[in-house]
Amino acid sequence: MQIIDTSGQQCPAPLIATNHALRDSQTGDSFKVITDNLTSFSNISRFLTDNKTEFSYEEANGIWTLTITKRTTDRVAARPEEYCKTEIPHFAQGDFIIAFTSDRMGDGNDELGHLLMGNFIKAIKDLDILPAKMVFYNKGVTLGAEESSVIDHLKEIEKMGVALLLCATCVKFYSLEEKVKIGTLSNMFEIVQVMAKAGNVVKP
Amino acid sequence: MKIDLLQMVETGGCSAKISPKLLEEFLKYLPLPSDPNILVGIDTHDDAGVYRVNDELALVFTTDFFPPLCSDPYEFGQIAAANSISDVYAMGGTPVIALNIMMFPSSKLPLEAYAEILKGGSDMASEAGLRIIGGHTIDDYPPKYGLAVVGYIHPEKIITNSGARPGDVIILTKPAGTGVILAGQRLKMASDEDVYQAKQLMKMLNKTGAEVMKKFNIKGATDITGFGLAGHALIMAKASNVSMLFNLSQVPLIGNTYRLVDEGCIPGASFRNLDFVENDTSFGTDLNYNLKMIAMDAQTSGGLLMCVPSGISDHVISDLHLAGLTQSAVIGRVTENQEKYLYLED
Repeated sequence: MQIIDTSGQQCPAPLIATNHALRDSQTGDSFKVITDNLTSFSNISRFLTDNKTEFSYEEANGIWTLTITKRTTDRVAARPEEYCKTEIPHFAQGDFIIAFTSDRMGDGNDELGHLLMGNFIKAIKDLDILPAKMVFYNKGVTLGAEESSVIDHLKEIEKMGVALLLCATCVKFYSLEEKVKIGTLSNMFEIVQVMAKAGNVVKP
Repeated sequence: MKIDLLQMVETGGCSAKISPKLLEEFLKYLPLPSDPNILVGIDTHDDAGVYRVNDELALVFTTDFFPPLCSDPYEFGQIAAANSISDVYAMGGTPVIALNIMMFPSSKLPLEAYAEILKGGSDMASEAGLRIIGGHTIDDYPPKYGLAVVGYIHPEKIITNSGARPGDVIILTKPAGTGVILAGQRLKMASDEDVYQAKQLMKMLNKTGAEVMKKFNIKGATDITGFGLAGHALIMAKASNVSMLFNLSQVPLIGNTYRLVDEGCIPGASFRNLDFVENDTSFGTDLNYNLKMIAMDAQTSGGLLMCVPSGISDHVISDLHLAGLTQSAVIGRVTENQEKYLYLED
């Protein structure tokens, strides 16, 4: 049986070690966690109880040994729908950003440009690695207005953990202050900083 | 020599606060001073006490201090001061004068660290228009710093935690997660960017938020510190005799807070806060565990939690955004008093 000795470690390190072991083990597996810290012991117990994981423990001379058995109620593996439902970021993000400078993609027919931009934004959600941030300036900020056809997709991308920065001057210029439903208003300094720091800047 | 204050502490910032449950137990036995000029006292567990001087003027009086939560002494001074001043803003007051409170291990740390901490505090005080006119230091390990602050307020314009009304929506002005990020920093799990963002937020005064509250004549608010979002909301719900429903997925978060909690990076203070709130709280049947624990996360110099009549909430939010509090969000609503004080949902 795997034994994880967290003696000498302070909260929340023992809890993290327990959580990792729980995640890495198979259903039915048991392992032991040792802690010499009452606070950590009670926090781990609380964490396991809340996550419906069975355990027993022994205490001797200020050392607690918990024996933990993984059941199917693993909070990560067994309830993926919970994560989808709550739309919480747990997606990998890469060292690149996307700059939206227009509400259309490419030069040419406007209608086609709109359509392409819609498809582009939709496709972002399916990337294995999401952008670190997305910045919107000039006509690009109109993508974030409530009547925009891609607003729902952008909301989803934001909930996946991607920070959306909209140029405040542009939002004001197009009188969208009341209509912008996503992201945070940003200034040119921040936008320059974000673009300069990124490994790659993608522009549709 | 590079000074690293973090080497000296187990829990820094407001995570070092005593358990709210314990505090409540003891405060029960303290005699309440009776004086008609005490407008806000200990009984409602508000952010600060308020004492009436005359019909035009009352004093808001508060203190806070804690051990280091970052390595740099100057930054520690800034954050501790911003956190101390916050209580005045949460009551709708204007900070005026303050005293330094300092515990400093003079045999273990070079005195330049002492000067740096005070400098950080003093710079933050200047930003708030606050004058530090004295203080007190004792030799103690680990270091601790904060301010006792006096502010001015009009006796009829006090914003209290008993001012929440059914129908109000609840707005949070700063993203949550400082406790998680600071714990993650100590374990080297938090990214530099997360830590930077958390520090920037902790150094941000609640001044702008308070100005918006005053403009819209908001009656009920508190600031989120050591007892976490849920802890401070509970105190407020009790004082206002209402219930509060929170949609925790709407709570703005600092950087990778969610991911860190998912890894198990849940500071001990969160469990203390959970103990404090759970008897008065209904947890939604499918409530996401990570979100639940984020609601318990002890904040240092956290945002204002304000209860706003629903008709004006859009205006309040857009004012907050324009004032630079760009992550302010509606995270819940106030209802008539129900079976539990708090209702936490995804």
